[in-house]
Amino acid sequence: MSTSNVTLFDDEFLKKLEYLNIISKRLFAGQLRAERRTRKRGTGLEFADYRAYVAGDDFRHLDWKAYLRLNRLILKLFEEEEDLPIYFFVDSSQSMNYGEPTKLDYARRVAAALCYIGLANLDRVNVISFADGIKGELPPQRGKGRIFKIFRFLTDMTPSGETDARSSFKTYCTETRRRGLAVVISDFFDSHGFEGALDILRHFRHDIFVVHIASHEEIDPALRGELLLVDAENNSTREITITPSLLTAYRSEFARYCETVEAYCGKYQLGYVRTTTDFPFEELVLKVFRQGRFLK
Amino acid sequence: MTFLAMTALQTALLAALTSAAIIALYFLKLRHRRVVISSSILWRRVLDERQSHSLWEKLRRIISIAVAVTIALLIALSLARPEIASLTGKNERVVIVLDTSPTMNTQTSDGKTRWEHAVDRAKGLLDTGGPTTEFRVIDTSGVIASAFTTDRDEARNLIDHMSPKTADPQFPRVDGTDSQVYFVSDGVTLHSTPSFVKRISVFEAANNVGITAFEIRAVPSTPLGYEAYLEVQNFGPAADVGLTIGGTGGQRTNKTVRLGTEEIYREVFDLSQFTGGGVRAAIQSKDDELPLDDVAFAYLPIKRKTRTVLVTRGNNFLETLLKLDSYVELMVTDPASYRESPNIDAYIFDRFAPATVPGRPALIIGTPNAPWLKPAIGEVQKPEITAWSENHPVMQYVSVHDVSIERASRIDPGDLTVIAASKQTPLIVASEKPRWVMLTFDLSSSDFPFHVGFPVFIENVLSWFNREQLAIKRVPGVVEVPLANAQIHTIDGKTVASEQQLGKTIFQTNEPGLYAATQGDQRMHIAVNLANPTFSDVNRSVFKTDRAAAAQHYWLRRELWFYMLMGALVLIGIEWFTYHRRITL
Repeated sequence: MSTSNVTLFDDEFLKKLEYLNIISKRLFAGQLRAERRTRKRGTGLEFADYRAYVAGDDFRHLDWKAYLRLNRLILKLFEEEEDLPIYFFVDSSQSMNYGEPTKLDYARRVAAALCYIGLANLDRVNVISFADGIKGELPPQRGKGRIFKIFRFLTDMTPSGETDARSSFKTYCTETRRRGLAVVISDFFDSHGFEGALDILRHFRHDIFVVHIASHEEIDPALRGELLLVDAENNSTREITITPSLLTAYRSEFARYCETVEAYCGKYQLGYVRTTTDFPFEELVLKVFRQGRFLK
Repeated sequence: MTFLAMTALQTALLAALTSAAIIALYFLKLRHRRVVISSSILWRRVLDERQSHSLWEKLRRIISIAVAVTIALLIALSLARPEIASLTGKNERVVIVLDTSPTMNTQTSDGKTRWEHAVDRAKGLLDTGGPTTEFRVIDTSGVIASAFTTDRDEARNLIDHMSPKTADPQFPRVDGTDSQVYFVSDGVTLHSTPSFVKRISVFEAANNVGITAFEIRAVPSTPLGYEAYLEVQNFGPAADVGLTIGGTGGQRTNKTVRLGTEEIYREVFDLSQFTGGGVRAAIQSKDDELPLDDVAFAYLPIKRKTRTVLVTRGNNFLETLLKLDSYVELMVTDPASYRESPNIDAYIFDRFAPATVPGRPALIIGTPNAPWLKPAIGEVQKPEITAWSENHPVMQYVSVHDVSIERASRIDPGDLTVIAASKQTPLIVASEKPRWVMLTFDLSSSDFPFHVGFPVFIENVLSWFNREQLAIKRVPGVVEVPLANAQIHTIDGKTVASEQQLGKTIFQTNEPGLYAATQGDQRMHIAVNLANPTFSDVNRSVFKTDRAAAAQHYWLRRELWFYMLMGALVLIGIEWFTYHRRITL
């Protein structure tokens, strides 16, 4: 574990992460008091609203000055600051085991970094490994001290199986009713279609942020000659003669596919970031996420 | 279509086997390199879209196989040497005979010579026919006769090496049964050709005045006296002709005569004022189209007295005769006083012979006993001269048919040259090396000294011993000199390339000139002159181009296999290009 940690993060990078906060576009109700604003009115410091006093309300929140002016009992409402449930859906299908470094490694690092940020802000962090179903789930973690447990979970994640995100998300969301921020880290090579999967998350009213990972070998494959292409997920094969025009067509298709994913996210106002495995990881976390309004 | 190298069945079999082999090879599974990719979703979309939308994708495999089979068939069928008569003509043989007579040097109105026209026509013939047509080029001088070849460049090269020569032109022996024979000529020298020969004429009428005879001859009545005989004939319209005879010593005789058409001018020129050496005769006339017969050469022997020693016990006939000869410096001695001297040109031994062969040529009279002479093996009474060699230099202008001889010695001539002989024994024999002449009879036992030919005989013998001879006469072309291993020089001293052949020396010249052949102390002059009315009469042609002489031209200049291989090469190049760009499989 320690060895893997060293490869995933160094101390300096972890310190940088502590200053970042995850921005949620929505406010969600939490179970424990934390640093997130929620819809709940409670004992927070920040004033939220007034309402008429009803029996049973806490006297401490009555606005006595208003009573003197209006001769009515008016209760001051304060915002309740609670923790945010964050669900990290990490694609660990066989297709993620591709590229140098592999997309799964890159996804692990991204997930670990975001988890650390979440933990540092006292959010409830859930990590879910999925492929053709839920392969593994780390129970909600809170506090920075839990980061090593998350690291271990991520490190133990092994690539296997076909991608079926819709089925995986459906299974998970039906079991876990509490809404939160759903961060989906995947290459989105899903033969069942990525739209269905994200629709499920939208249906359960999660705030969704998509991290689309691609490897350089996929974007611009260095293939030549007569080849037998083997699909890493289902081992299906296809004989192919690589021609320049075919490569061009493939590149166009890949770009079109990425644009489709991005367009979908744009259409439903989902956060979207696309990155490649050769893109510097620190830069991605510190800058691109900020540009994507994921971090502040 | 026919096939030159195989039967139709063999060709069909070859084509079928080739096609089958290529198709079988094509369908052998090429082991594809296995590459694992993250997902085939996008690749499948691309390939499905391309295959469903592109006709080329559907036809690519078929077209690739078709190209490969086409390449293999082109190569395989080229081995069969296919021939399509409409494209390349038939496989036929053509013989082109070029007339290399000297009249072909005659100029035509366009400034070219008849020969240049003939070369153009011959090369034009080479451009006809198909690629399988075999050509053979022959000249009428017997110098160049190629084998049949389809290589037109080789045939052209041979034609370029031909030139009009004067060697007795003869139509070559060619077989007209399996080949077309074309004869390109002006028709002046060679009139008759075999009936199967298709004649192509390059004749055009021309003006010509030519020297038809020129020679120097000895004046029999005058020792070392020479005269030149010149004959000039006009073969064109009447013209003024300038005549010039010039000698090496600067002597010159000029004359102008007017000659009508076909008129012959003959004159004998006295050369008493000429010193020895080359003599050149030249004529000048306006618009003369054949310069080759406007000059002629001869050689005038250098005049010098012959220092002669007569060794005799007394012979009035000889002594008187030799003393009267103004070109003989005579010394008489008896056999006992005979001593060989280096300053002597010739010896005459009368019934005597020294023990050793003399260092200078000798005339031996009688059959004396000497180790270097053939011994007498008997005696013949009243031998009758039945045969003599008129061509031998010592017998020139000498008649011995009525010479009576009382008796003569019988000898075995061995390797000696018999100049005159009876049925029983040689009477006059000669040796080339050492040079001597022997009479096997005594002058006193014969009436030979009383004959008019006897002084001429003595003069001829002394001339043959020492004096320069008149030039032998030859015509341009391959010149044959009856002297083995001789060096040939022009009269200016330039060496001429020569070859040795059967004890003779031959060299090549296409123009009139005077040449010298030397071998050791032997020297001979050769006057090469056209001097022949047959060649000078350049308008004596009865030759016309045969209508059937024109041959057919074909667009393709090579056999079909060449184009098939070129096509295969191009297809291989295209296939290579498209394969590496994955356009074809």
